[in-house]
Amino acid sequence: MTKSILKTKKSRKITGSILRYVFLCLMASLILVPVLWMISTAFKTEAETYSPTPIWIPTEISLDSFKKFWGIYNFGQMTLNSLVTCLGSMIICTAFSCLAGYGVTRFEFKGKKTFMGFLLVTQMFPSVMLVVPFYSVLTKYHLTNSLLGLVIVYAATNIAFSTWMMTSYFKSIPLELDEAARVDGASSFTIFWKIILPLTVPGIAAVAIFVLINGWNEYMYSSVLISKDSLKTLTVGIVSLNTQNQVHWNDMMAASTVSCIPLIILFLCFQKYFIAGMTSGAVKS
Amino acid sequence: MASAVKRKTSSGKVQRYNRTGYKFISPAVIMMAALIVYPMLYGVYLSFYNTNLVNKWKFVGLKYYIQAFTQSEFYNSVFLTFLFMILVVAGHFIVGFILASILNKEFFGRTLFRVIFMLPWLFPETVIALLFTWILNPMYGIFNSILKSLGIISSNISWLGSANLAFPAVVVVCIWKGYPMVMTMILSGLQGISSDLYEAARIDGANKWQQFLHVTLPGLKPVMTTTIILDSVWWFKQYTLVYTMTGGGPGTATNLISLNIYGTAFNDLRFGKAAAWGIIVFVICYLISKVYRVVLRDD
Repeated sequence: MTKSILKTKKSRKITGSILRYVFLCLMASLILVPVLWMISTAFKTEAETYSPTPIWIPTEISLDSFKKFWGIYNFGQMTLNSLVTCLGSMIICTAFSCLAGYGVTRFEFKGKKTFMGFLLVTQMFPSVMLVVPFYSVLTKYHLTNSLLGLVIVYAATNIAFSTWMMTSYFKSIPLELDEAARVDGASSFTIFWKIILPLTVPGIAAVAIFVLINGWNEYMYSSVLISKDSLKTLTVGIVSLNTQNQVHWNDMMAASTVSCIPLIILFLCFQKYFIAGMTSGAVKS
Repeated sequence: MASAVKRKTSSGKVQRYNRTGYKFISPAVIMMAALIVYPMLYGVYLSFYNTNLVNKWKFVGLKYYIQAFTQSEFYNSVFLTFLFMILVVAGHFIVGFILASILNKEFFGRTLFRVIFMLPWLFPETVIALLFTWILNPMYGIFNSILKSLGIISSNISWLGSANLAFPAVVVVCIWKGYPMVMTMILSGLQGISSDLYEAARIDGANKWQQFLHVTLPGLKPVMTTTIILDSVWWFKQYTLVYTMTGGGPGTATNLISLNIYGTAFNDLRFGKAAAWGIIVFVICYLISKVYRVVLRDD
């Protein structure tokens, strides 16, 4: 009697886990098929790209599209531009948000609540709403068609959420550490720089990655603020292929594949910080 | 030493703390003041003018705000955006919840699946938009040919070129892109629920459904509240994906409010009107978050 119950329980468990794998594989294929199709198209010749019956695995691996990436499309320069802007905004954002996060969690001051509230409200700003004023303000200061202008814009659009994330990190570090150091006569900045900051490295990594991804993927501001070809960022460059008279899908997919690689590598190396960055800001609020 | 002395008098302490706090937040505050508050106020200013930013500056007062509420163009677009937001966010939560609850269990290959399901989040929106434009291509796209080989359709369909199909197609792509964030949030929420609670519920004789209702959902509520607010607002403002896929067309089938505003500004060069509409959208986004907060508030 008990044996048969155990048996059905066990067999039910096995069917359950088989069903789970079937379901997971099905869902995973919804993700992977489009991705693989992108990669497969990237390696095709023009003729195979436009074959009436789709060819899954190209019969001859063609690297032409990738050569064009560095060659006639000048995407090498655009990749560099993307890199410069997202690294620049990352440095500004992490520095400012660390300072602000420390200030907010360690000190009492008037307007702190307003400041924290404002951080959240900025999440409600539609980027299209800011794009018109940005465009006009930056034109005034001759910062359109300049990577510096783009760096500033990216930093500004990310600073609120970064500060929010950093604040939740600083909160998790006990105030007793500050107190102990203060008794020893250390100044506020020394405490921040030498004692507390080294403990928040995971938080800094999370913020840095968050800003990096946003900068790398950004399209709208870049397309509005930059019109010079030599200063365009990669996302804008790739999309501009779509508006040409004849769309070369294999070239476009090759460029798309290349543009995804840096983030995927980053993700595989720093998975833990990615997840932490995504969740920390929201979970603890 | 001086600071140690200061610490002794309570009023001095408060003052010192006061100033130091400001010092630490000042870089962030200055940056936000210069690059968010100022442009925003400038946007408010622009919204009262009929302007192309170059040589035409005509004061029109509240005309654009009134127009927004009296002409159907604006609220049609807002209505479409709401529909879009509701469908996309619901999709994110359904897919995200199912995947998170599976990935929350221990099984072989979990890490691999987790990485796979995170992939869409890592791809730039522009890349995803182009990729799906290619997949849905009426002539050479694989989507049509898969459906044909399964016998579901007999002739090629122009998914993004048809007024009825473009909107659902765009919604599905946006769900594909955005669910990893929700999934990750829910997953972290699930991991935060102590297994003791489930144990206790089981001892009290609760079945799986009751456990879900009385342990899982309340445990997830704090995470869910923030996630649903952020996700809704983010997708209400969505621009890049939809713009790259359809440009708002065919006709106005996918003309979300963001695309509408962008077009008004940079195609029609009516910056004042665009600024006014942008401000209304900001108010809407703010209200969305308020409504959620009230509805989902802890008792």
